[in-house]
Amino acid sequence: MSSDRRVQPSDVLRPRHVGAPIKRTEDLRLLTGRGEYSADRKPDRALHVAFLRSGQPHARIAGIDTAAAEAAPGVVAVFTADSIADDFKAVIPFSRMPNYYATPILPLASGKVRYVGEAVVAVIATSRYLAEDALELIEVDYEPLKAISRAELAVADGAPLLHEAAGSNVLLAREFRKGDVAADLKVAAVRVGGRFEMTRKAPLALEPRSYTAEYEKRRDAITLYTSSNIPGIVRDAISESLGLPGHRLRVVAPDVGGSFGSKGSLYPEELLICIAARKLGRSLKWTADRLEDVSSSSQAFAEIVDAEMGFDANGVATSLQADVIGDVGAYSIYPWTCGLEPVQVVSFLPGPYKIGSYRGAVRGVATCKPPTGPYRGVGRPISTFVAERLMDLGAKALGLDPLEIRRRNLVRSEDFPYRIASGIIWDKTGFLECLEAAAEAVGYQQLRLRQADARKDGRLFGIGIATYAELTGIGSRIAVAPGMPINTGSETAKISIDSTGAITAAFGVASHGQGLETTLAQIIADDLGAKFEDISVIQGDSDEVPMSTGTYASRSAVLGGGAAKHASFLLRDKIKRVASHLLEANQDDIEVFGGQAVVIGTDRAVTFRQVARAVYSDMKTLPVEAREELSASYTYDPINGTTAAATHIAAVEVDPATCFVKIHKYVVAEDCGKIINPMIVDGQVHGGVAQGIGAALFEELIYDDDAQLLSASLVDYVIPSAPEVPVMEVVHIESESAVAGGFRGMGEGGTIGAPAAIANAIADALSPLGIDVSILPMTPERIFKLMEQARFNSRGKADE
Amino acid sequence: MKPARFEYVAPASVDAAVETLLAANGEGKLLAGGQSLLPLLNFRMARPAVLVDLNGIKELSFIELRGESVVIGALTRHREIEHSPLIASRLPVMSAAMRHVAHLAIRNRGTIGGSLSHADPAAELPMMAMFYAARLTVQGPAGRRTIAAKDFFVDALTNCLEPEEIVVEIEFPIPQHDGWVFEEVARRFGDFALASIAVSIRRGQSGIEDARVAAMGVADTPLRLEDVERRLCEIEIDVRMPDRFCEWVRSSVSPNSDLHASGEYRKHLLGELARRALKTALAAKGDRR
Ligand SMILES: Cc1cc2nc3c(=O)[nH]c(=O)nc-3n(C[C@H](O)[C@H](O)[C@H](O)COP(=O)(O)OP(=O)(O)OC[C@H]3O[C@@H](n4cnc5c(N)ncnc54)[C@H](O)[C@@H]3O)c2cc1C
Repeated sequence: MSSDRRVQPSDVLRPRHVGAPIKRTEDLRLLTGRGEYSADRKPDRALHVAFLRSGQPHARIAGIDTAAAEAAPGVVAVFTADSIADDFKAVIPFSRMPNYYATPILPLASGKVRYVGEAVVAVIATSRYLAEDALELIEVDYEPLKAISRAELAVADGAPLLHEAAGSNVLLAREFRKGDVAADLKVAAVRVGGRFEMTRKAPLALEPRSYTAEYEKRRDAITLYTSSNIPGIVRDAISESLGLPGHRLRVVAPDVGGSFGSKGSLYPEELLICIAARKLGRSLKWTADRLEDVSSSSQAFAEIVDAEMGFDANGVATSLQADVIGDVGAYSIYPWTCGLEPVQVVSFLPGPYKIGSYRGAVRGVATCKPPTGPYRGVGRPISTFVAERLMDLGAKALGLDPLEIRRRNLVRSEDFPYRIASGIIWDKTGFLECLEAAAEAVGYQQLRLRQADARKDGRLFGIGIATYAELTGIGSRIAVAPGMPINTGSETAKISIDSTGAITAAFGVASHGQGLETTLAQIIADDLGAKFEDISVIQGDSDEVPMSTGTYASRSAVLGGGAAKHASFLLRDKIKRVASHLLEANQDDIEVFGGQAVVIGTDRAVTFRQVARAVYSDMKTLPVEAREELSASYTYDPINGTTAAATHIAAVEVDPATCFVKIHKYVVAEDCGKIINPMIVDGQVHGGVAQGIGAALFEELIYDDDAQLLSASLVDYVIPSAPEVPVMEVVHIESESAVAGGFRGMGEGGTIGAPAAIANAIADALSPLGIDVSILPMTPERIFKLMEQARFNSRGKADE
Repeated sequence: MKPARFEYVAPASVDAAVETLLAANGEGKLLAGGQSLLPLLNFRMARPAVLVDLNGIKELSFIELRGESVVIGALTRHREIEHSPLIASRLPVMSAAMRHVAHLAIRNRGTIGGSLSHADPAAELPMMAMFYAARLTVQGPAGRRTIAAKDFFVDALTNCLEPEEIVVEIEFPIPQHDGWVFEEVARRFGDFALASIAVSIRRGQSGIEDARVAAMGVADTPLRLEDVERRLCEIEIDVRMPDRFCEWVRSSVSPNSDLHASGEYRKHLLGELARRALKTALAAKGDRR
């Protein structure tokens, strides 16, 4: 293990913060109700916004009559697409991708509605109650068009077009190739394949989307408080759209109650609330109710994958091909485009395996549903589900143990850096180490014995493995979303010590549950040599740094952490320079730790406070030219990014009577590089796995053939609750990466590994009945149907 | 998701509540625990002109032994029923069922009168009312009347009350049984049931002397399976009995399909629960699962 920090003599004695399980400093306020979310803002005489949303999946808007609503009590204004047409420029989710059509982002539906839940009219009133009363008075004259409820129907001949200007419902098409798959498959000893599906899922953050636009008359300026994890991107986009320069448009993500990706794109409502605030010269508030949040926030997955894998006689995967159809919903999202989720599926399908040849083709198809967008894991939950199912099918066909077949195919330490077909490069990561560590922690051999015993008793007991790799902390050389024109490859840290000796560290990253206020302070405490409790981390505020994008794609520990490190070093050197004057010692003989500068080997020291006083207040002790402002700023770009990997192993049992799945054991061995805070890493893994369990067993947004959402409430959209999430064991493999600090991103991994591991475990459990798992979630209903079918088939055989 | 405008009245007696309902001209709605009503108001699926809050009427909240029955006041909270020693000893099946009703916070507020009146086909208390052949006392402008549970539940989410009537108390006759069980399957603990069965029996010298069987989640109202009860008393107890019971129960229901489960799956579940339940009821004397 290596580190880029100079080792100093007293290092051994000094407790370091990085690596310590420090309790999250933000939790005190969040858990005692003292957090401040967007909806908690109380601007002067704020007005409230309510949206009339389309109940039609696809219709032409022939006319809108708002007269009665405008006259209703408390109503200040009613806006439609027509009445705000001159107040903004549409935001276009551009991409350099070929074969991609960019649908514009509009604040309100214009000309047509394309999904149930799309905002059509905005009512502004003195209270939300009165605004919702007025919604009932609006008449929209819809001319219904044929709904497109499923991706396969959207690409069928004669399907109605959702976006006429696109000329097709296929909004994007892409293909990756390496080698000659057809030839390799032809000579493969074993070929396995299938049609796999992951249904639509809601990210479902606890806090629904919420925006407060505070209007300042004096400067014609807006501060938008938004429950966003990309406040910097939102600032830049709205600035462009409304023609408001950054010093008159501040975008702040205050405390944010989760996102999981659903708050990681620019939303029509964010545009509308700023347009309306400016038009009316008033402050405005809007918070989605749960129905709005489920039916209009970006959604996840919704892909069907036809895939095939070829193996040689030794169980080495030689070839892989896949055709993916992604049901991307009605619109692209900004800035990621509708390619984000489905293109990642083919980008990552080969995963951590060395596979000779590859062909992955994807089509993103428009349907009458809300857009799909980023969701914890993006594309990789399904690519991992498919690849891991294929590995298990291969193992079964070859009579190999699932653990063994993975050993034979994982990229090995001597192969790094390893380039996969889509161009992604894996840097040196503990792929095999994770596999072996998970197997050991779960007691793999004993578990197989336990399974054999259970099977003797007729019980349906199964073990499932999933290994995966992901790209995290992506730098400027790689676009987070394909062909995207904005830079997501850098982050800035600005650290300053003020005249009171207090340390403020400002970032553009925007924690929405990750605990960045704690982990970034841990890094600064060590690298600046400060006291942990003296550091205040400010983040998610566009006024604090010149440019930022936010927190997404497992980037903040790597990019924010790297920036924090470098800015800390710069500031530490300034402190040393001042201290060398005050202590009359050579800079090289001074070290900084615990909030003071000390002459090595002596008890001569000055505190940060004394240093600050010397620089800012006391005009006698320092020569004028030595009074450098105690602040440092650094913009860090890891250029490529770094790999993170894990192995998940699940042991499950299917109850043949109820068709319920019980998770008996769950182990994760993960490599996130140098661990900043093991408690936070464990928490992220636990939360990610819980969401993965949701994807594997519970959660599904069900749209009927008319593209109406049937599971629109939390009674019908079932998520795992505490009893459904098992105790899990997390093993850490710390192979440090080459980026500053040796960190790797790890916020998403849990959700990537869990669906595949559980799917494999269920398939293993049901294998005595000859049942395969090819769709998630595996609800009791689906298991019941599969078991009925198996019963029917075996009866058929018995009759023959 | 805000309710439409309504007037709020909090009467101090049942008489005053009936009068308020009468004055509201069919536009009044009773508020008990609010656990089912408030979501309906917020979705604007219910839009009463007057909300009549029963929570101030203290005499509606009690659990007492009256002769051979346990009587429960309509405003009694789920949590009080769940923890009542009287219910545990006299109506053990209801006691066991209560733990499946929603979650702690909801049980703290939800009431038996509200649950019965709401008449959800997958709710435990309506099923218990059928199981114990409960009698509901209701008060309206013409005074009080008593309604048998089997007449009270008309359809899914529909009871037989007139708009000005209020459920005041519910009488549960105590069966003299010695083996019982309550079985339920829900997606998650605390969710509404996918299927549930309650069985209790009294064993005699030669077989089962008396039996009660009720099911829910498998029809528009909770069901008491009286045919099945009768057949249980007609045959001898042997190892095949649970399987036969399973078949009888299965063939007496034809559940609909919905978002959460198909009719076939619900039927399958109910059959499996029935088999398991009868085994337990036969094996144990008053044992609790
Ligand atoms: C998330 C969630 C999960 C739940 N899960 C379950 C579950 O698993 N099992 C279950 O059984 N229940 C469940 N419930 C419902 C809960 O038990 C409710 O408490 C119950 O259905 C209604 O009782 P309430 O006192 O809250 O009635 P309210 O919501 O106040 O009223 C319900 C209806 O009854 C009427 N009403 C109330 N009192 C009277 C009266 N005395 N006379 C006449 N009409 C009256 C009201 O006008 C209204 O129409 C759940 C609820 C929630 C929110």
